[in-house]
Amino acid sequence: MLPDTTGFWTPVALSADLPAGTVMPARTPAGSIALWRSDSGRTAASADRCPHRGMRLSHGFVRGEALSCIYHGWSYAQAGNCLRIPAHPGLAPPETIRVATQRVEETDGLIWVAVGEPTGHPPRMEGLVPLRSLMAHASVSALEIAAGATADPVGIVWKIEPSQTIRLLLALQEDDQTLIHVMLSDKCSPAQRIAASRAAESLRRAAEALQAKGIAP
Amino acid sequence: MKLYDYILSPSCYKVRLMAALTDVKLDIRPVDFHPGAEHRGAALMDLNPAGSIPILEDGDLILTESSAMLVYLAARAAPEWLGSGTTEETARVQQWLSFSNRLTTSLGAARLHEMLLRPGDITELQMHGIAALREVEAGLVEQGVRGMRFLASDRPTVADIACFPYVALAPDGGVSLDPYPAIRLWSRALRSLENFIEMPGIHRLHELKPAPYIEPGGA
Repeated sequence: MLPDTTGFWTPVALSADLPAGTVMPARTPAGSIALWRSDSGRTAASADRCPHRGMRLSHGFVRGEALSCIYHGWSYAQAGNCLRIPAHPGLAPPETIRVATQRVEETDGLIWVAVGEPTGHPPRMEGLVPLRSLMAHASVSALEIAAGATADPVGIVWKIEPSQTIRLLLALQEDDQTLIHVMLSDKCSPAQRIAASRAAESLRRAAEALQAKGIAP
Repeated sequence: MKLYDYILSPSCYKVRLMAALTDVKLDIRPVDFHPGAEHRGAALMDLNPAGSIPILEDGDLILTESSAMLVYLAARAAPEWLGSGTTEETARVQQWLSFSNRLTTSLGAARLHEMLLRPGDITELQMHGIAALREVEAGLVEQGVRGMRFLASDRPTVADIACFPYVALAPDGGVSLDPYPAIRLWSRALRSLENFIEMPGIHRLHELKPAPYIEPGGA
């Protein structure tokens, strides 16, 4: 298990998968989050639960610089404070109504969320661009066996064919699932990008088969 | 043009949605699917011996397959929804129209199991549903690399409407949509279309309209 006391950054999504004015669900070792980007482009992460009735905020919507709950429209600022309660239009929501927030940093097309109190910044991915994220029902060891490579702290370097190497950025999830972000050279052609996407699907199938048969821990 | 319809049926919704998007007026004839099982009654079995809905009736044309209904509406009112006609795009449209049946028999069956207690092996239905969702996700990723936002083209086609409802309602069958970023963006793109209509479980994008303003004390 990754240490969650010293603090580290976990990659939760690709920047391209979170356009301005949208919200998406994501998971970190510290729990489920609603990851959102305001209309002006600022990213933020909060606990994925509206304090009013417990609805997932990732089912909500972004309008301007606020995240709103789909259930009764309570809306929250990046800092987590409640901005507005539509059923009480005259009320300035008290400071005590807020959602827990996490630090977010965005580099090289990836969105990272802080788990604990990391001291530095997320690692850089020089010369690499993200292609896609996919969830595998397989542990890191199953993915290592399937790829025939050992994971370093930021994932697996995997040679999909003699001329093409990709990096799989791995983020541990609950229930033996692993979120994979496929990174490849910024010089790849569209055909190579499609080949990398298909290779990642193939690796996931192999790793999940290993896991299901109990071959990988 | 008469549609034998059930509000909670994703297949019926495909036809209502396509008609709305292509500005075709449908004469809606509600069917008591549950609990009445009217679709299995003599009158509707005469129209569709398969005992399924939707049924689309226009003059002496009777259609019982929703994909055919989408093609009929598009061909009549808005042929751009059939795709540009290039070899590859035509094939891709057909590929996803046929594929949509796998969504019905996996995610759709899981939904009927969970909502109407229809018998079935729920674990297996969900597993097939996840496999189908992964194919949609991979297909959309590849389309993205080709610079296209929709399943068969850079504009929405009948293929998208055939696949969208059962994908969007996957959570009704206990299958999460959380792990599919490309499907999430595709669903947004479809729900952003002018004249998009909702069904129970599939809502419009609230943020496309300004926040309603209520006077303090006026509610």
